[in-house]
Amino acid sequence: MRRYLIVVMTGLLFLTGCWDEKQFKNVKLVLSLGFDQGDEGQIIQTVSIPTVNRATEGPGSESLQILSTSAQTPLQARNKIDLMISESYDPSKVKVVVLGEDLAKKNIYPILDDMYRNSRSNLNAYLAVVEEGTAQDVISMNHAGATRISNYVSGLLEAAVSSTHATGENLQLLCAELLEPGIDFSVPMLKIEDEGNLLTFSGMGLFHDKAYTGEKIDAEQTTLFMLLEGVKGRVARLTEKIDDNKKEEILDYVTVNVAENDRKMKIENKDGEISVTINLDMKVKIVEYPSDHLYVKGRVEEIGKKLSETLTEDSVDIIAQLQEANSDIFGIGRRVKAYHPDVWKKIKWEEEYPEISIKPSVKVEVIQHGIIN
Amino acid sequence: MGIFTRFFRNNRDILKDRHMSEPSGDKEVPTTKKLTENVKYILDAFHQTNDLKIRVLKKGDATLLYLESLAEHEKIHEKIFAPIEMGHTDDVFQLPNAKHTHDLEEAVRTILRGHALYLEEGKREIAQFSVTSSFSRTPEEPQNEKVVRGAHDGFVENMMTNINLIRKRVEHRDLTIKYFKLGRKTNTNVAVMYMDGIADPTLVQEVETRLHSVDSDMIHSPGHVEEFIEDQSNSPFPQMLNTERPDRVAANIVEGRVAIMSEGSPTTLIAPATFFMFYQAPDDYNMRWFTGTFVRLIRLFSFVIAVSLPAFYIAVVSFHYEVIPDELIIPVKASINEIAYPPILEALVMVIIIELIREAGIRLPQPIGQTIGIVGGLVIGDAVVRAGLVSNLMVIVVALTAIASFVVPSNELSTALRLLTFPLILLAGTIGFIGIVFGMLFILIHLTRLHSFGVPYFAPLAPLSLVDLKDTFVRLPMYMMKLRPKDAHAIKPIALDPSREWRNRDEQKQSKQGGDQTSTTNKPKE
Repeated sequence: MRRYLIVVMTGLLFLTGCWDEKQFKNVKLVLSLGFDQGDEGQIIQTVSIPTVNRATEGPGSESLQILSTSAQTPLQARNKIDLMISESYDPSKVKVVVLGEDLAKKNIYPILDDMYRNSRSNLNAYLAVVEEGTAQDVISMNHAGATRISNYVSGLLEAAVSSTHATGENLQLLCAELLEPGIDFSVPMLKIEDEGNLLTFSGMGLFHDKAYTGEKIDAEQTTLFMLLEGVKGRVARLTEKIDDNKKEEILDYVTVNVAENDRKMKIENKDGEISVTINLDMKVKIVEYPSDHLYVKGRVEEIGKKLSETLTEDSVDIIAQLQEANSDIFGIGRRVKAYHPDVWKKIKWEEEYPEISIKPSVKVEVIQHGIIN
Repeated sequence: MGIFTRFFRNNRDILKDRHMSEPSGDKEVPTTKKLTENVKYILDAFHQTNDLKIRVLKKGDATLLYLESLAEHEKIHEKIFAPIEMGHTDDVFQLPNAKHTHDLEEAVRTILRGHALYLEEGKREIAQFSVTSSFSRTPEEPQNEKVVRGAHDGFVENMMTNINLIRKRVEHRDLTIKYFKLGRKTNTNVAVMYMDGIADPTLVQEVETRLHSVDSDMIHSPGHVEEFIEDQSNSPFPQMLNTERPDRVAANIVEGRVAIMSEGSPTTLIAPATFFMFYQAPDDYNMRWFTGTFVRLIRLFSFVIAVSLPAFYIAVVSFHYEVIPDELIIPVKASINEIAYPPILEALVMVIIIELIREAGIRLPQPIGQTIGIVGGLVIGDAVVRAGLVSNLMVIVVALTAIASFVVPSNELSTALRLLTFPLILLAGTIGFIGIVFGMLFILIHLTRLHSFGVPYFAPLAPLSLVDLKDTFVRLPMYMMKLRPKDAHAIKPIALDPSREWRNRDEQKQSKQGGDQTSTTNKPKE
């Protein structure tokens, strides 16, 4: 008798697990999420839900359902969307979260709160901001090529990461920078072009505290910006104008691949006055040099020197933009707080940061110039 | 007839015939001088059975008794009549191949062994002649334990042939064989084989004690014996190794284990057995050690697949689909989207279908068996997916599991593994990954607690013995296995002394002669 009781009890114990069961076939996966600013403080949530029908052979046919609704909070919007679809809404495989520019200029934390709070949400998702447009346009855009917008956007961002244009920070990594006062972050910006058929990566949007500042580093400068941040993707290619006197315009340029990148940031504290020097040592390979004749003695070293100068100038420009936007992406504040806590306590970093002197110095050493002279 | 060959000399004692183990303590019934009384006693002992042939000789003064079903007429002629016809002697009792007795009970027993009895009026003596006929097939390679390289012979149903195969492989005086008669009605001959001086005497003693305590009317196969003498019956894991390969038995005997054979069955039991022994195939030792190691790793990996793959899949699609990679999420979703049943039912149905196909395939003759395999595997598998009853991913998962379970060289363990998938499927279907973890924990706890004849079943992992890992997950070169495995409890631990000293010799010489010497010094242990 007791034996049976034990069997029945353990059986019941295991069956409780069925409450937590979440059949994969019974959910609607949301792969991309978009948020926009709506009227009267509301937000507009846009989701794309792929439904795949099984084919006996080969890949099944896929249909996309794009839904948009406005609500006070993301979860309220989710509930509303749940009422529009069969089965239930599941955000645990979200690949990209896209924010409209207007919404991004406000505090973005309330939008992401649910993503951080829910253990099932996918913190691997990328965050992107749409420049001069709405997330709704991006999610519902009818683009040529890839079928799913989530694949398109995440593929675009991954390519930007590997070519050293974006940091590749996902929601998880952004979280700390979002909440910490001593460091800010940048988020990839997307721009809709070609009458809504094309999406381009247009630069890195600079955030201050929890809101988009409206300033961005242009896509042409993001590689150097990433290198200054100490991030290097698989390829970091820089094209710079180093001459001004050649007959043809194209001969003035050189393209290099950064092989090694060593960034050192030094923070000096002189009686409460913070000054920063950023030393960027790069070892580069020349991959394109239209005017050729690299065998001329001293030419390679000369290019290195010229590159150092141009890149230092560009760096100064980038840092000026950062300070103007009051976006402490290099985390200088964090270091000040750690190494000079007494200074940190005295000053108000938000006000101090645009005023401090940040001196970049880029040193370039050419280590290779391809298989021809 | 090897049973009579084991004479041994005591100083002045008269030699006695040695026998297969006789049920000792049986009452002795002395013969009488009257022929009819003797014959009547024997006839009664056999309950007037019709195949007991009585051949009257010398005009009723003598008779020849034998079971015609067991005796061979050729042999009777050759052993009894031919010598008399040749005129060597007139008296049957004087024939050298006669064995004499005055005990009627013994006479009954020898008839059962296929002897012919010669009785004469007025004489108490009975002459016994061994005229057994035996039919046995040739020692072909067992169907269920084929190897690519190595010996291609296998045990047969005749125990003497089987022992002969072992003795031919282990030509040493320490190879000891002990006979037992088990089964009150069947009187099955059971042999225990071991290397004296290598095998642990307490282990041999233990095996003997357990065999002696079997008190059953019938013993018909080693599988039958196994159930009587194994340590833990309530376990899915076999605790004795079943094999039909003489090379495997010989290798295990030399490692210090004990083999149990029984008349009428080609299967031999090897005790003690450990879990990892079931994953060692004779093939491993005939390959180069890299390949041997690779194959063995694959085999051990198959254990994990066979036990947990369906469970893992179920847990993923019904609890933790977050772990599916982004690129796979849409294909997976597409394949299971329109399946009517929950994955746990899908899995159970598919696993049971596979078992049905397997079982049907075994029992049927081979041409039909193949048809069943094709109909079951291909047609049903395909149709079931097209009909939308089962997702194609589930078919892949279950098919992989079935293949993985057949990789185990031992049929017993393979069935055990397939049985173990069921509780894990149920656990995964009710509480997801946690269920799998719990289930695996239970299996591991059980494995570590299990003992086979006093030897930990999960050795050499638990208890850990680093030396023995040389022949567990990997198979290192034979010459490195200097010690016998600890789990065999051998009393002589050293299996080989340095065998490759020639490598230390002068480099020049070695390069010339090294090739031919390898083959002689580096013999595989089987």
